[in-house]
Amino acid sequence: MQRLFRAPLRLQKRTTIALLLALFSLSSLLLAGCGGSSSSSGGSSSKITLTVLESVGWVHQPEMDLAKKFEAQTGIHIQYQIIPAANYFQVLDTKLNSGQGPDIFGGQSGVSDLQVQYNVTQNAVDLSNQEWVKREDPNALAQATLNGKVYGQEIWDIYSGYWVIVYNKDIFQKVGITSVPATYNDFVADCAKIKAAGINPIYEPISDGWHQVLWYPESGARMEQLEPGLYDKLNANQATLAGDPASNRAMAQIDELYQKGYFGPTALSDQYANTEKEMTSGKYAMTIDGLTEPAAIQAADPSVQASSFGFFPIPILDNQLLPTHPAAPTKFVYAKGSHIAQAEQYLAFLAQPANLQYYVDHDTLSETVDFSGVKAKWTPDQQAFLNQYQAATTLVLQDSVKYVNPQWIQIGKDMVAMFTRQEMPHQVLVNTDTRRTQEAQAAHDTSWQQ
Amino acid sequence: MNRSTEVARDTSVRPGRDLTLPGSSPRPGRYYHLRNNYPTWFAGGALLLYGAFVLLPSLVGLGYSFTDWSAYSTDLHWVGLANFATIFQPNSEYVGAIVNTVIFTIATIILKTVIALALAVLLTSGVRRLSYLYRALIYLPALLPMVAVGIVFKSILDPDVGLLNSTLRLVGLGGLAQQWLTNVSLALWSVIGVDTWKGVGYIMVILMAGLLAIPRDYYEAAKIDGASGWQAFRYITLPLLRPVLAVTTVLNLLYALRVFDIVYVLTNGGPGYATDTVYIAIFNAFSLGQWGVATALSTVFFIVMIALGFVVLRVMRRPEVACT
Repeated sequence: MQRLFRAPLRLQKRTTIALLLALFSLSSLLLAGCGGSSSSSGGSSSKITLTVLESVGWVHQPEMDLAKKFEAQTGIHIQYQIIPAANYFQVLDTKLNSGQGPDIFGGQSGVSDLQVQYNVTQNAVDLSNQEWVKREDPNALAQATLNGKVYGQEIWDIYSGYWVIVYNKDIFQKVGITSVPATYNDFVADCAKIKAAGINPIYEPISDGWHQVLWYPESGARMEQLEPGLYDKLNANQATLAGDPASNRAMAQIDELYQKGYFGPTALSDQYANTEKEMTSGKYAMTIDGLTEPAAIQAADPSVQASSFGFFPIPILDNQLLPTHPAAPTKFVYAKGSHIAQAEQYLAFLAQPANLQYYVDHDTLSETVDFSGVKAKWTPDQQAFLNQYQAATTLVLQDSVKYVNPQWIQIGKDMVAMFTRQEMPHQVLVNTDTRRTQEAQAAHDTSWQQ
Repeated sequence: MNRSTEVARDTSVRPGRDLTLPGSSPRPGRYYHLRNNYPTWFAGGALLLYGAFVLLPSLVGLGYSFTDWSAYSTDLHWVGLANFATIFQPNSEYVGAIVNTVIFTIATIILKTVIALALAVLLTSGVRRLSYLYRALIYLPALLPMVAVGIVFKSILDPDVGLLNSTLRLVGLGGLAQQWLTNVSLALWSVIGVDTWKGVGYIMVILMAGLLAIPRDYYEAAKIDGASGWQAFRYITLPLLRPVLAVTTVLNLLYALRVFDIVYVLTNGGPGYATDTVYIAIFNAFSLGQWGVATALSTVFFIVMIALGFVVLRVMRRPEVACT
């Protein structure tokens, strides 16, 4: 060793310093690596924190309250990470694919989503043996079930959580509209009257990327009504959305609403979070939302009465059916998480009958939830609406037709391209079919095999 | 100066040469190779890390670009050039993203270089008072996180309540108010504008360093010969600044081709596909679970970037002063 440093003194010093620095850097790297692995295990920590990844709008205030109650009872802290809707699936996919998922992750249920979007057989824990499974609505449960195993827990108001047109009764009266439209032509005529009065007919928040899509798949039950067997043909790869006349007509009607300016001048930059504010402002007459929206509007501005808002089905393709939509935000326990037992414990806690009733009683956005034994709180207006319209016997498009829901944001992007004339309505459907084909082939779906 | 001193001076700056003292034995010792190659040891560590974390993943990615790797299946199959065919098929959204990226790249290179050069010349030879303050202020945006800049400008460019349109309306120029980020014709240019605002200070600082390195004698000689300011700029500044301009152009080029964050925050590629760039398209393809296509697109662009960088350097590093 002595001979190694027989170089000039300055050189020896430099070499020594350089070697020490290199050793220090290497040791830092090793220590950092070791440190990372020990902190990530987290098993030795006395206080456990469960991370819950959700999209904006999926977690309501009563759930936050229940999380605090759960922490008080068990000492387990629940940390919610709420991601903007437009980016949610990108963030979730990145986390799942890198093996760094949260303890619980949210997602829209739906059989094809379970398989395609979340790959639940690898990423989620089988919850079939949980006690609450027996109390959840079978239709909702079916949307969170794959190969006979229940992978998710859906606590959602699927009975009054229909996407419908919520309208301002005062504005309708002011412009001389005496009854809600029953056909698409009536709807367009009403929009024209409202616009002529200097009011924007529809608040359509497009900037979030997902809301404008609702118009199309929520009309799926009507498409199926016009052409019985369409869903089955689509799933068997014997029909395409671009090849179906009703599907084309639906997309063309949605486009017409935008081109005629019925979505307002700033629709492309409008945000869903501002819906209540805009609806109370009197600048907009209608929006697509759930039956609970009037209550949310009143909560945003107590001077506005919830009873001054009414509902009617989305009249694309002259639809008069209530869309049945049992797929909804659902919680999955991450299979590679460190706290699986605690995550299951938290889901069981949320589904306790008393906690479900607390959720319904304190949530302005839910009138009931999809569990037995819960007392609903429908208002007379909501009850009258539910009595008046026939519930569709088939589900909305995204719940029944495979490979639609996973590309929801891309369909939204195509629809914006259609609104801004980068694409025509038919092209939106062609692109949707192309992505369905790509997804099906990648999933080795037998119906798409050559 | 004797011979041994020359040898010592020479070897002190050249790695890999004999480092023995002048006058000491030239015979290689026991640790000759160990001692002689010590710079390589350190490079070896870096190369190892580079290989493990850059080269190896790149090669694996290259391999995946020829497979049907996706989120929908755990099986992996060789598909040849199918992913590349998907990228370049007619009406492919990826072609639009490539076109947008090229427009963004050309526009930002020109805008940043021209504005930064003008500011650099102004601040090195024109403006004397408060010059340092101006430099700091112009450079400041370069220090801000891109996401923060994006969020702030998204608010400023809001068509309804944004600062820009509100100001225009306030001063009676409401007719100029636009849907800056949602108009198909304007959105990409709005993004280019914001990116130029953020990046121009960084380029200016590099160009100022280049300008300050040009000897003042040249300008004085030119002045004596009766050269105008423009002639001095055209025949002295520009040629001598060429190597620095080559560097800034390559930096701008590589940045612009990989642009992602500012577009993602401002428009997320919208409205529709109007501001989609290649990296946004890669991100979306990954999000859709089409990992094979995404890696194929990454591979294509990796090759394009290397080729363009090489061409730009070759073109711009020609001798700056021609012999007469």
